[in-house]
Amino acid sequence: MVVMQECRRRLGPGVEFLCESFRVLEGSQTALWGPSGCGKSTMLNLIAGLLRPETGTIRVDGVEIQQLSEVRLDRFRGERFGFVFQTFNLLAPFTAIQNVMLGMRFSDTCPESEWKTRATELLKRVGLGHRLHSKPATMSVGERQRVAIARALANHQKIVIADEPTGNLDPKTARGVMDLLLEMCGEQKVTMLLVTHDLAIAERLPERFDCSGLVREVTP
Amino acid sequence: MSLWFIAWSYLWNRKLITALTLLSVALGVALIGTVLTLREETKKRFEEEGQAFDIVVGAKGSPLQLVLSAVYFMDRPTGNIDYAIYDQLRKHEDVGGAFPVGLGDTFRGFRLVGTTADLLSYVWTYRGEERQPFQLADGRAFEKPMEAVVGSFVAEQTGLSVGDEFIGTHGLIELPKDLQITSHELHPYTVVGVLKPSGTPGDRAILCSIDSVWDLHAEDVEPGMTTRDKITAVLVDLKTPAARFQFKEFVNTEFNAMATVPVDEIAKLYNQFLATAKTVLLTVGYLVVIVSALSIMIGLYLSILQRRRDMAIMRALGASAFEIFGAVIIESFLVTILGIVTGWLLGNVVSWVFGLYLSQKYGMSIGGLGLSVEHTYAYAVVALVGLLAGVLPAWQAYRTDVARNLAEA
Repeated sequence: MVVMQECRRRLGPGVEFLCESFRVLEGSQTALWGPSGCGKSTMLNLIAGLLRPETGTIRVDGVEIQQLSEVRLDRFRGERFGFVFQTFNLLAPFTAIQNVMLGMRFSDTCPESEWKTRATELLKRVGLGHRLHSKPATMSVGERQRVAIARALANHQKIVIADEPTGNLDPKTARGVMDLLLEMCGEQKVTMLLVTHDLAIAERLPERFDCSGLVREVTP
Repeated sequence: MSLWFIAWSYLWNRKLITALTLLSVALGVALIGTVLTLREETKKRFEEEGQAFDIVVGAKGSPLQLVLSAVYFMDRPTGNIDYAIYDQLRKHEDVGGAFPVGLGDTFRGFRLVGTTADLLSYVWTYRGEERQPFQLADGRAFEKPMEAVVGSFVAEQTGLSVGDEFIGTHGLIELPKDLQITSHELHPYTVVGVLKPSGTPGDRAILCSIDSVWDLHAEDVEPGMTTRDKITAVLVDLKTPAARFQFKEFVNTEFNAMATVPVDEIAKLYNQFLATAKTVLLTVGYLVVIVSALSIMIGLYLSILQRRRDMAIMRALGASAFEIFGAVIIESFLVTILGIVTGWLLGNVVSWVFGLYLSQKYGMSIGGLGLSVEHTYAYAVVALVGLLAGVLPAWQAYRTDVARNLAEA
């Protein structure tokens, strides 16, 4: 599903990211773990096409994404990837259901007539059937993360990228969110890439990739 | 969920700032709209009224003053001319109708206009439409001295109706009673008729027989003359307006008087003085719009800085940089368009209030705020300026560094 080869990206003067080889199978659940600053997020950004590599190839679902134009890459990202960030996942002016529908707005995967039904179903599935029309400001952090999970799966995405999704949650809520994420991705047979610095969380996933050493100093 | 909805949601999310920005656009638009409307409407009305008579003949002096005093009953007269001139003019072969005008007195600030009764049945044609500015609504025309027919606005303001009596005040400016040089207590007027509202200066006039004016001012004449020798002006209706210039030259050459074409004087007034006033006011209006555009730009720019994370999330969800650019431009466009609509409505209200004032002060009715070519052009310029104001913030949004802003949680 995801293949990275000889991928290099300059991060600053004398610092670069280099991933010689990385491979993820379809439907797998992989934790990218390692200490802060080791290059986990850079790796996710490269896989999702939010950053472009200077050399090397990244193949996602059979497509070499570094070859895509900006516009096509944006659409590709919207259709293939779902995101769950650590915090501030949702857009403040929109309600929970609108936030989920927003995920469908920027891709052609789901017909517009089905947006509302699908968003409602997903929100019910994550236990927020009673919060469809609530704005993020009125929701707890855990509820917001659950909306983000619903949004990440709204387009029948093939890959969910979760960047420290429980980093801002108390242990009980974090466990709940993590359970939900694993369950939903498993249910929908979605490939999951999860970034964490917490080995305990990483160990909950069947696959792990140690990112230590991906970012290194180079002589100019 | 269109880009319009997304843009509107962000505007709604910061209601107060949006409302204030919108209001500033509206104020500029209202100012521009009102200036254009008042200028167009007053010009139209003045020119319309100016064409009621082809020529005005009066004492030598300022032609504009003569027109304003004799046609619009607004300014002081230029002086008096011999009644004999009127007598000769009305018999001239080119003249369809001639009406003497004798000014000198007022009642509660409304002018007493001495003339002949046939002015009441005077009909003229404007663009194929017949106009009768001094048409009776009630009563009859004056038939003898000290009978008066009052304009509709005079009747409304003073409460005068058929059968009532009133006493005129000497002079064209209303003074407190103890300062009045002469009042005519011994010679009250009797109201015999009330005019229909016409939206013309006739609404604010009190028409009476020229004999009334002569009789009341018997003591004002020079030694050796009778009161009946002088009048203020003559309003002349020519059989064909094409003869205006020739007739004017004829009067100026043959008589010790000045002839002028009212509509030409009004056009000059507009082209010289009022055109400058219009330019100044329009410049102020456009400056307000430019300031509003700057406030749109600053407001949006600050909002974009605060929303970089949102932009990055939208990009992560699949929005292209063009869509983000478009959403911001739409925000700017929405504020501008709503500002234009609000300003247009506000301009309507202001024009209406001004119209009421002008109607009461000068008997000039002003139509509602139209959407003339000039208005449309002005509003299009405002819309364009508003749109341009969104370009810089939209560019800022377009260039959002997605990865960096997602990392800055």
